[in-house]
Amino acid sequence: MSEPKVDLSVRIGALTLRSCVIPASGTFGSGREYAGLVDLSRIGAVVTKGVSLEPWPGNPQPRIVETASGMLNSIGLQNPGVEAFCANDLPWLRSQDLAVIVNVSGHSIDEYVAVAERLEREEGVSALELNISCPNVDAGGMQFGTSCEAAAAVTAAVRSVTTKTLIVKLSPNVTDIAGIARAAVDAGADAVSLINTLLGMAIDVRTQRPVLARRVGGLSGPAIKPIALRMVWDVYEAVSVPVIGMGGIAAPHDAVEFLLAGASAVAVGTANFVDPAAMTRILDGIEAYCRERGIERASDLVGAAHGTQSGS
Amino acid sequence: MSADRRVVEEVVVEANERVATGVGLAALRAPRIAQSVLPGQFVHLRIAEGTAFILRRPFSVHRAHGETIEVLYQVVGTGTRWLSSREPGDAMDAIGPLGTGWSVPDGAAHALLVAGGLGAAPLGMLAEDLAARGVAVTVAQGAPTAERLVARDLFERVARTVATATDDGSAGVRGFVTALVPGLIEEIRPDVVYACGPEPMMCAVAAAARDAGVACQVSLERLMACGVGACLSCTVTTRSGLKRACADGPVFDAADVVWAQDEVEGLKR
Repeated sequence: MSEPKVDLSVRIGALTLRSCVIPASGTFGSGREYAGLVDLSRIGAVVTKGVSLEPWPGNPQPRIVETASGMLNSIGLQNPGVEAFCANDLPWLRSQDLAVIVNVSGHSIDEYVAVAERLEREEGVSALELNISCPNVDAGGMQFGTSCEAAAAVTAAVRSVTTKTLIVKLSPNVTDIAGIARAAVDAGADAVSLINTLLGMAIDVRTQRPVLARRVGGLSGPAIKPIALRMVWDVYEAVSVPVIGMGGIAAPHDAVEFLLAGASAVAVGTANFVDPAAMTRILDGIEAYCRERGIERASDLVGAAHGTQSGS
Repeated sequence: MSADRRVVEEVVVEANERVATGVGLAALRAPRIAQSVLPGQFVHLRIAEGTAFILRRPFSVHRAHGETIEVLYQVVGTGTRWLSSREPGDAMDAIGPLGTGWSVPDGAAHALLVAGGLGAAPLGMLAEDLAARGVAVTVAQGAPTAERLVARDLFERVARTVATATDDGSAGVRGFVTALVPGLIEEIRPDVVYACGPEPMMCAVAAAARDAGVACQVSLERLMACGVGACLSCTVTTRSGLKRACADGPVFDAADVVWAQDEVEGLKR
C-alpha cells in the first residue's frame, strides 16, 4: 500500500510550479552549475542570477566574509548581460524540464525595461523577478526598492512591456516593507518575493579596515531568518498576491514556518552552498510534515498561522 | 568544467596527523573522488560544527592513491580547527573533484615546481604525476623554518633536485624561495614552471618565468562559498576578464593573471 502523495505544487500568477521550493537568485548560477549535484527535476523552478542589459563587472575582491550563522556578500550583480544570457544560458535551461524565473537587474528604469523587453520574445522564460533590492550596487538596485514611488514606477514600467509573470523582489532595508509590497502590487506585480539581504559589514581588527572591498555587503543565512519570517508575515497581511518567502531557510522546519507565515513558495539561498541537497531535503521534509498531519496539499499550509492567532 | 565527474560523497577519515607546527595531513577514504581527481583539483569539505552555520572549506587534493585522497591543511580558523580534531572513522561530506587543475604542455621534458609554505599542497599530486609520465621534476621549496617544509619526503622521492630556502636559514639558503627561481630557470631550462604559495611569491615566480620566456601556471586561493561556479565570490581578474577560482581555476596561466599589485598600479595611473 503506497502512501498518498502530497501535492507540493504552487501557483504564482499564471504560472504553476511543480513544487514550492526554489533557489534564491544569485546562489544557484543559472542552474547548470549545480547540474548533477542537485536533482533539478524536483525543484519548482530555477531562479537565475541577476541579468542586466550590459555586462556588469561586479565588485572588487574580497566579496564575501563568513559571519555568525551567516555570511556577507558584495558580489555586485556581476553578469555578462542579457544577450550573453540568452545565447549561453537559456538554450541549456530550455533543454531541461524546468520553469525558469529570470532575475532582472538595472541601473535605471530604462535598463529594467530593456532587459524585460529582450526577454519577452524568449521562449522558456516563465517569469521575471524584478530585483529592486540588491544592496551591493551604487545606482539602481535597492534604490528602487526603498520608496513606494520608485517601486511603483519601475514595476509599472516593466509591467507595460511584459506578459510574463512578474515577481518583485523586496528589500528588507526599509521602514515599512508592507507599504512597498502594496505599491508594487498596485503597479501590476503578480507576486512579491522577500527578503533580499540585509545591509551589514565586518571589520578586520588586525588591519583595522572593513573586510569587504566595498566595505558593506548583504547579510544572508540562518542569522536573518526571524527578520525575514516577520516580514513575510506582515506582507502576507498587506497584499492578496502570492508571496515567495526567503531568508535563512536551511532546514525543513524553516520552510514550514515560512509557509505558515504566508509564503506560497520558499526560496533557499545560502544553504545551497553548504548542502547542495538542501532544497530536495526541504521538499522531503515538507512532504513528511504534511503526511503526518493528513494534509493533502502543501498550499493548505500557506498563511495557516494567521488563522489560529488569538487576540489583537 | 568537467561537471559529470563531480559528486557529493561521504568520506571517512583514515588518518589525521600533525605533520608540522600548525599543519595537518588528513587521509580520507573517498572512492569516487579518488578515482577521478586530477592534479590541482580540490574538494569542498562540509564543516559540521554543532548547529552553527559554517560554509564549506576548499582543500587542494595533495595526493590520491587507491580509494584515498590526502589533504594538507594549516590550522587557521574554525573550519581547519574542526578538521584537525577529526579522528579515524569520523565521516564528513565532500564535493569533488572540483575546479580546473594543472596542465602538462605537450612534449614537456622538465618541469620546475615552486612551493611556498602550504603551497606544497596542490603540487604533491602533480609531482607524482609528472614523474610517472617521465617528466623530469625540479622542486624549489620555501618555508619559514626547516620543520615546516611539508611534503618534503614526497618531493625528494620524485624530484631530480630539491632546492630549499627558509626564512630563518634552518634549511637551504636564508630568505624567500623566489630568490632561487631565476637561477634554477637559467640552469635547468624547464619547459614549464608550476607555482603555489603566497600571492606575492607567485607573482614574482610568474615574472621570472615570463622574463625567461617559460610557460608558468599558478594555483590561486580565494574565499569561496559555493565552490561549483555559481556564486561568483571567488573571482580572479585576468586579461580575458573575470574568472572563477573554483571552476575556471584554481590553476591559471600566469601570463593571463592580473595580479593585485598590478591592479593597484593600474589604478594609480
